[in-house]
Amino acid sequence: MALDPSMPVLVVDDYKTMIRIIRNLLKQLGFANVDEASDGTAALSMMREKDYGLVISDWNMEPMTGYELLREVRADDRLSRTPFIMVTAESKTDNVIAAKKAGVNNYIVKPFNAATLKSKIDAIFGEPS
Amino acid sequence: MNQVGGTKAKRKPPSAHRRAAHGGSDHSVTAEITLLLNTLRELAAIRSTAEDAAARILDSAEGLLALADKEEAEKAQEAILAIMTACGFHDLVGQRVTKIAETLDCVIASRLTGEELARAKTPAKIGSEITLEGPSHNSVAQDQARIDALFREKN
Repeated sequence: MALDPSMPVLVVDDYKTMIRIIRNLLKQLGFANVDEASDGTAALSMMREKDYGLVISDWNMEPMTGYELLREVRADDRLSRTPFIMVTAESKTDNVIAAKKAGVNNYIVKPFNAATLKSKIDAIFGEPS
Repeated sequence: MNQVGGTKAKRKPPSAHRRAAHGGSDHSVTAEITLLLNTLRELAAIRSTAEDAAARILDSAEGLLALADKEEAEKAQEAILAIMTACGFHDLVGQRVTKIAETLDCVIASRLTGEELARAKTPAKIGSEITLEGPSHNSVAQDQARIDALFREKN
């Protein structure tokens, strides 16, 4: 999978502050084509309308959580290969393992910094970090 | 975004027989509930204040970032991005405050109904079978390192 900074990226979080933070970090990393959604339901709808090269999602949202979004994405033939990073305050080992089993590509614990986000994106796309 | 306490904080006062069943006087139960509802309002205010502060800091940081594009860019950008990521405190404060508010909701419900506190509410189950715990009390560096190790494992 090649890293293309022009690819559309979808950021999913119910906190507008977090969306702004991630959007700014992505912009500094060269990703200018960023869309946003406030929960999994909205994100899934957007993903069915547009091809995203990367999804960065919170876990704890309503009505559809990031975990449920991940499972929906992995169960959908057209979306199943979309790279998916979970960015969440949730660090309980059992839940991390559940997300990994559900097919998340990488996992970031909040609070995080630009270097962590960059390293996880690079790891997915096989770029040296 | 969930409101702290939300509509649950606007429950009707308890009926006399329920209060009597719980063994408290009308006056003391009403006073307790009033205190708890006031605490929920304070928690809602904390969340709101944190959100406003984070938004204003981000406004300023975004303005600085636009200027930093022009000259002395790299160091300024790093500093501004650090300010921006620090604004994530709002998210974590919000999640912790929500947990406290949910606990208070349980206490209020328990006082209103006379049911055992432990039975008043089960932990939040968000995402079907997954029970979320929210922010941990460990250092984030330790948590991230542990998770990175899990992801390095094959299965």
